[in-house]
Amino acid sequence: MRFAKSGDGDFIQRIIHHKFHGFVHSTFNRTLNIQCLDSGDLYSIACKGIDNAPNTLIIDLEHFEEADIRVNDVVSSDHAILSISNKMFIPMDGIKKWNCELPKYPSEADVLIMNVSTMKQYIKLHGNSSRIERAFKGGNPFDDEMSRMLHERTQLLVLELQNKRMSTAIKHATSLIGLGPGLTPAGDDFLVGLFTVFNIENHRYFSHQSFCEEVVLHAKTLTNDISYMALAKAAVGQVRESISALMEALFRGSEEELLLALGRVLAIGSTSGTDIALGIVAGLEMNM
Amino acid sequence: MTVQVLVKPNTYIDSVSLMSLSTKANQIEIVEQAIIAMGTEMNKEVIRNVGLMTPEVESAKTSDLVIIVKAASEELCEGAFESINELLTKKKDSSKGKSEVKYSTITSAVNGTPEANLAIIAVNGSYAPREARKALENNLHVMLFSDNVSIEDEIELKTLAQEKGLLMMGPDCGTAIIGNVALCFANAVRKGNIGIVGASGTGSQEVTVRIHEFGGGITQLIGTGGRDLSEEVGGIMMLAGIKALEEDDATKVIVLVSKPPAPSVEEKVLAQIKQCKKPVVVWFVGGNEEKVTQAGGHFAKMSKEAALKAVLLAGADESKLNKRTLNLPLIEEVRAKLKPQQKYIRGLFSGGTLCDEAMHIAMEKFDNVYSNIQREPEYRLKDVRVSQDHTFIDFGDDQFTQGKPHPMIDPSTRIERFIQEAKDPSVGVIVMDFVLGFGAHEDPVGAMLPAIIEAKQAAEDEGRHLEIIGYILGTELDSQNIEGQINKLLASGATHASSSQNAGLLAREFVVKGE
Repeated sequence: MRFAKSGDGDFIQRIIHHKFHGFVHSTFNRTLNIQCLDSGDLYSIACKGIDNAPNTLIIDLEHFEEADIRVNDVVSSDHAILSISNKMFIPMDGIKKWNCELPKYPSEADVLIMNVSTMKQYIKLHGNSSRIERAFKGGNPFDDEMSRMLHERTQLLVLELQNKRMSTAIKHATSLIGLGPGLTPAGDDFLVGLFTVFNIENHRYFSHQSFCEEVVLHAKTLTNDISYMALAKAAVGQVRESISALMEALFRGSEEELLLALGRVLAIGSTSGTDIALGIVAGLEMNM
Repeated sequence: MTVQVLVKPNTYIDSVSLMSLSTKANQIEIVEQAIIAMGTEMNKEVIRNVGLMTPEVESAKTSDLVIIVKAASEELCEGAFESINELLTKKKDSSKGKSEVKYSTITSAVNGTPEANLAIIAVNGSYAPREARKALENNLHVMLFSDNVSIEDEIELKTLAQEKGLLMMGPDCGTAIIGNVALCFANAVRKGNIGIVGASGTGSQEVTVRIHEFGGGITQLIGTGGRDLSEEVGGIMMLAGIKALEEDDATKVIVLVSKPPAPSVEEKVLAQIKQCKKPVVVWFVGGNEEKVTQAGGHFAKMSKEAALKAVLLAGADESKLNKRTLNLPLIEEVRAKLKPQQKYIRGLFSGGTLCDEAMHIAMEKFDNVYSNIQREPEYRLKDVRVSQDHTFIDFGDDQFTQGKPHPMIDPSTRIERFIQEAKDPSVGVIVMDFVLGFGAHEDPVGAMLPAIIEAKQAAEDEGRHLEIIGYILGTELDSQNIEGQINKLLASGATHASSSQNAGLLAREFVVKGE
């Protein structure tokens, strides 16, 4: 029996009130992904210390190494208990529900302007050498070319969005999907950051959420399932807790609060956090 | 060139492991280029653009892991795949059962690990003083790796530490050994009865390594940060360090390592040496012997001399020590090979004090010694990219490290400069250091090896001999395998110097003409 600490409210509801049928899609040291047979959506079970996220349950476990859970193991729910091939049972008793709520855009932008400037500086110093930020010359032709394409395409996307040329913006955004090293490609991560901002109420681009939805329509075949799920959720304003906390800190936080929140985002993946943060900065600067 | 592809269907590896795997695959000696990425359409476009597209890659799916290897032959490609598979397996094994606790703030770390008594801080300089202050207020000794901390903040932090009886090592402190634990950049050395207070990172490393080689050992190595002995800071940490070692029962001999202090600070340090009940060996690079001797200290002009004096004062039997004297026949042999116009030394160093020591050794015989760290403005390089006569470059200096890792981690800048210097027909000797130990590059000699072999061959094709001296700072306890590093260096045709001091002396003597 594994105690669940917290989790996405909708996922918990589904386990409690409906039958969940699925299988293990992929396993990592501290996270495992489950594919739902009914919807095809991915859900995650993550170990403690990882932040809440859409479609995710956080359980009281350090890592999955000894659980012997394998890809294609059957996952089902009954009587509010999620079970994974009789290897792990997760009851929903006492679980803390979490739902992603993005903060509203502030009416006064003074704090935000100062915080964005601090954030940019901090990313430069502490970000994990993103290939988006600058054309990277590492001596490896693949890395150099990847970096050139990422840099060029994100610049073009931002330019088209600034000029409200939405159809070409969709084209450039689509050209970023699946582009980049890592499990969640850098282009996808940048878009997650950008989509987050576009889902902020009162932001200039809030009325352009259809942009996010259209881009995601193309994403299904252009990137892997795990990255697609993050993009699809971000397109409707559903992001990890650390990202929504960063938005709150950007809008209303002190420098210390901002850096603490930013540090948590930068720690995501290898360069994913940095690329998400760069997407957020690009989105916010369009409104300034 | 052969390109081979392996597509692993539905394989998901977390980003951190994937990127690290990709970096390591590209470091495999036989690999010209390796690509490890998910098989998305956009990644395929990049692969197409760099000319490595194959039908297997073309048919890969977004959920597939694509591994591409380019090497000289089919056989080498297969060897590379084997190595990559090994890396993949290792990655899986190494993540098993491990969990580490990460704290976001000093306060949560203090609450989470109440038994801790030291904090290492390596955040951006703008935020470092605040974090250091928090640590001191929580009664933690501090090692502050960060630089770009204002002198006012340094004084305030050191004063606070002094009031609380704590160590405030740094800012800009990269080397310490506390309670036999090496912190940041340090070497694995024996436990013993010699304590060191060092304002210089690689200088202190060199002394610990020489002491280890002479059979001695270290109690503590307390770093002070490079600015501690300035007029403004007043040597607060150096004085506190001497006092701490004097009070430490395990320490029998104290060694001080630094550039010469500011005059008023020198007086304070000498006064403390005079009062100290334990013998104090002083190696202030380019410092004044008379003043140290008058204060009752033991003056050392060079690093090996400092280590030797320390181990003898600590009780070693001199007759049993191998002092590794200079190889005089080699000096004659190299002098004969160099042409009259090959007059100059080019020193390319990753360690600042190693550079300083070699430069001072050269300055004893030559007037025209230039550097980016010269104290005399007249002899400071006007353009660090262009060498002049005898030139010694510290690649760890700020001009070279802004936005780039330290050369002890990333040797690329030095490799480029080495290639440039090797082409200069007025150069007789290139001398370099290779620093091993915690935090340092896994294979510093290996990274430089192709450039050395190519440069020596190019010089030979032009009918000149190019002498390359390499000094490897490390011990047999360091993880990088010092013996393997020495063998690689010798295999490239370079000369191996047994100490920083000997590297400087050999470089100087090789280019002396007409003696």
